[in-house]
Amino acid sequence: MNRNNQPMETIMNRRTALKLGMSFTATAIATAAVPAWAALGPVEVTLYKDPECSCCQNYADYLRKNGFAVTVIGTHDLPLMNDQLGVPVNLQGCHLAKVEGYVVEGHVPVDVVKRLLAEKPKIKGITLPGMPAGAPGMYGKKTGPFTIYAFGSTPPKVYATE
Amino acid sequence: MVRAAAVDKEVQLTPAPGRVALVGGGHPETAVWCYDGSVPGPEIRLRQGERVRIVCDNRLAQDTTIHWHGVRVPNPMDGVPYVTQPPIAPGRSFIYEFAVPDAGTYWYHPHDHSSEQIGRGMMGAFVIEEPTPLPVDREVVWVLGDFRLRPDARIAGGFDNPMEMSMAGRIGNTVTINGRVPTDCAVRSGERVRLRLINAAAARIFGLEFRQHRPLVVALDGQPIAPHAPEGGRVVLAPAQRVDLVLDMTGKPGSKSSVVDTFYRHLSYRLADLAYAATSPLRTKPLPPPATLPRNTQPEPDLAQAQRHVVTLTGGMMGGGGTNGMSMGMGMMGGGRAMWAINGAAIVNDDMQHMKPILTLTRGKTYVLAIDNRTAWHHPIHLHGHSFRVITRNGKPTAYRAWRDTVLMPPRERAEIAFVADNPGDWMFHCHILDHQDGGMMAVIRVT
Repeated sequence: MNRNNQPMETIMNRRTALKLGMSFTATAIATAAVPAWAALGPVEVTLYKDPECSCCQNYADYLRKNGFAVTVIGTHDLPLMNDQLGVPVNLQGCHLAKVEGYVVEGHVPVDVVKRLLAEKPKIKGITLPGMPAGAPGMYGKKTGPFTIYAFGSTPPKVYATE
Repeated sequence: MVRAAAVDKEVQLTPAPGRVALVGGGHPETAVWCYDGSVPGPEIRLRQGERVRIVCDNRLAQDTTIHWHGVRVPNPMDGVPYVTQPPIAPGRSFIYEFAVPDAGTYWYHPHDHSSEQIGRGMMGAFVIEEPTPLPVDREVVWVLGDFRLRPDARIAGGFDNPMEMSMAGRIGNTVTINGRVPTDCAVRSGERVRLRLINAAAARIFGLEFRQHRPLVVALDGQPIAPHAPEGGRVVLAPAQRVDLVLDMTGKPGSKSSVVDTFYRHLSYRLADLAYAATSPLRTKPLPPPATLPRNTQPEPDLAQAQRHVVTLTGGMMGGGGTNGMSMGMGMMGGGRAMWAINGAAIVNDDMQHMKPILTLTRGKTYVLAIDNRTAWHHPIHLHGHSFRVITRNGKPTAYRAWRDTVLMPPRERAEIAFVADNPGDWMFHCHILDHQDGGMMAVIRVT
């Protein structure tokens, strides 16, 4: 229907209006038997971002440069997705990626993502809150350590400091 | 009845919680905040020059006010808490009374807790008819709303999410026309329709394409303009903007055509279908183009004598390239800090009590405001109490020098607006992406 032959935002019509979010709940908990990092070719990442945000796109490019296969999906529903995935409001980043059953929120450095996929902890995901300057994909200079949090079961804990 | 004799129409508007079928089609009703139990609230329709009295009886659990967006009212009637009136507390009422100087398509909405109150359904059409109506077969009003619904059709909480406040604002997942997820819009072949479009969304910008049709723009923000096809065939409405279209229904009886919103890249969707009745065409010969509507009553700016001021918009996430933008670490996530600014000043958390004017203008003089959007985001900038001409964009004269009350400033673009400061008082000048307004992109301009 649309000019660019892209799929329309189907949540807008009545038939599908209330399906929103359903698809984001089923895969929240990490599944078992995840292959170790890079053992079986590129790891697939689905990255959800505001269609107008450029730094999220930069982060997608950063992941690609580091060997991930990234699919970028524009959405205006990030707060709703974050809520459904259990990302605490004060720990939210500007975009949300799904990697092998985990949520990777915000501009998390790739080494930490790799550690997550290697360790396979029983959490929902990790997040670098906000948009700190100097983080991968972000502009500016790093002014202090990045604290990456794990969330999912108990109160959020520090997962890594970079 | 002495009281009533002074006005041509009396209206009662009661803001209160309600339940409406936003989605319809057997889905649950949605708990909303609204005027008189409906979304949108009742349409207010007057004739140009009439005087109206509107009693607002607040039955919400929080303060509110009503702003008559685009209508050039006297300052005390403008509905801005702390600036033009005290907020209307729960259980209290406020009487608005004013004459409507200009014809056109306007709307009303709260100006207190705007992001949440509008986001929960408080909006309504305010139509002022010309003394001689535009000759059309039918007039249709579309109040475009945008809601963020959960799977059970409840409105999602989380208003003022700091992350989206610093980005595009709270854009929803459920677009409504006149308070309902649209299906078919019934039309008849050969008819000419005047379609009054009102963007009552808190943050969503619309870019509407009427497939297989050639709509003509005849008014912007209520103000007449020479009838013309929209740029690129797409009717763009930022939050709070209005567009009046003349739409000739040129499709065949029994056919369907889509109205598609293509504004956000990769997020196009079909808004509604124009569904043609099987009946024979109302006429077969095409109508001549519509005439330009008569000009409204605002004074013409005298550009030779104009005083110019620069107004700079800054803040938000990612000033791509690293300049003028901001980054946001944990410290930002507590909320309450300025994310946007106008000329370096930010009013946050609706703290309108302590606003100092960024400009003081002399009554009766012409001013040009050179607005410079140095951010990476769109901002529909609204000036209260006046209509202005958009005279340049990025340094080039505009084709129509359109009159507006809300000018869309795309990322990193500039525009000049010109107007006569003829309405005394303290007037809001703010972004109508309501999260941006709450996040500091709000100022006062004083006309002495």
